[in-house]
Amino acid sequence: MEEIIRPAEVDVDRFDRPRRVGWLDLDAVFRAKLLMVGAGALGNEVGKNLVLSGFRDITIVDMDRVAMSNLSRCMFFEKGDAEGSILKAEALRDGMNSLADKGAVKAVACSIEECSTDLFEKSTAVLGCLDNIIARMYTNAQSYHAGKPYIDGGMEGFAGRVMIVRPPGGACLQCGMNRSHAKMANLRFSCTGSETTLYEPRLASEITTTSLLASVMVREIIKHVSGRNDLMLSNAFFYDGRTNRAEEFEVPLNPECPVHLQ
Amino acid sequence: MVLLPFRIKVKNAETGATVEMELEQNNTVDEVIESAATFWNKEMGTYVVRKGKKVLRGTQALSDAGVREDDMLELVPDPEGG
Ligand SMILES: [Zn+2]
Repeated sequence: MEEIIRPAEVDVDRFDRPRRVGWLDLDAVFRAKLLMVGAGALGNEVGKNLVLSGFRDITIVDMDRVAMSNLSRCMFFEKGDAEGSILKAEALRDGMNSLADKGAVKAVACSIEECSTDLFEKSTAVLGCLDNIIARMYTNAQSYHAGKPYIDGGMEGFAGRVMIVRPPGGACLQCGMNRSHAKMANLRFSCTGSETTLYEPRLASEITTTSLLASVMVREIIKHVSGRNDLMLSNAFFYDGRTNRAEEFEVPLNPECPVHLQ
Repeated sequence: MVLLPFRIKVKNAETGATVEMELEQNNTVDEVIESAATFWNKEMGTYVVRKGKKVLRGTQALSDAGVREDDMLELVPDPEGG
């Protein structure tokens, strides 16, 4: 029987456009369970891309509260959230659910180190939208040991980096770290009393760099859940927003990295 | 065996500037990062050094990392913000 088409029919289906991408497995996107750690500037952009792409089951972990200075970089935070000192995870959850098709975004308001490791075990993949090295190292290690792909974004001003970690093989995030990371991690650790962080990066994140990195991160997750690891970045993507130059680097596995020794 | 000092160039990915560095084979990648970061007043940040497309491991001696006379390494920011 011949297929019947009608004018404007293509605009009825919310996901008509992604369905046309041959390699994209939209059903796998609908089924995927994602863990997103960090609900700041990068978390907002990643969250927007995830729900518009069709991801439905997302757990956000973040312990911070919305501040007025977040509003120029975070599309889901409003003035009232800052005035009410609302938890970032909850404000982001509400914003994402309002955009989502069948939103089931959940918020966990604590540091990732305090969460049950079940969160990693139950996830299809993990996204790191963090703002410090210690939480990154923890999230990287837990994801690796749970055998879950970890996609980490980091940025400062116009500089950005995305690292793709795909256990059980290959390098992890910590494999690419050196003494400069240890120094900054120690500095932050020594400056962190209770929940007050005194050390801040030199330059705040900047929305256009944030937006580009978030796109790369979510595109890589879509490839992974669609079973197209062959299309994924090998492991490291560096971006310089001032020149708009992006390059793919290789971070080799470090045999001394503690993540692989456990 | 006596290993003679050798020179490489290090490029600042953020500005395009380069600096020449005199090193011993047993100097480490970490030492290159620290020297270059200090020279460009970048002590408060996280960086990697790459040779070609490969990010070099911090603890590795330059000889083990395959760094040779006249090589060009690049100091690239590895930002931690989010
Ligand atoms: Zn590792």
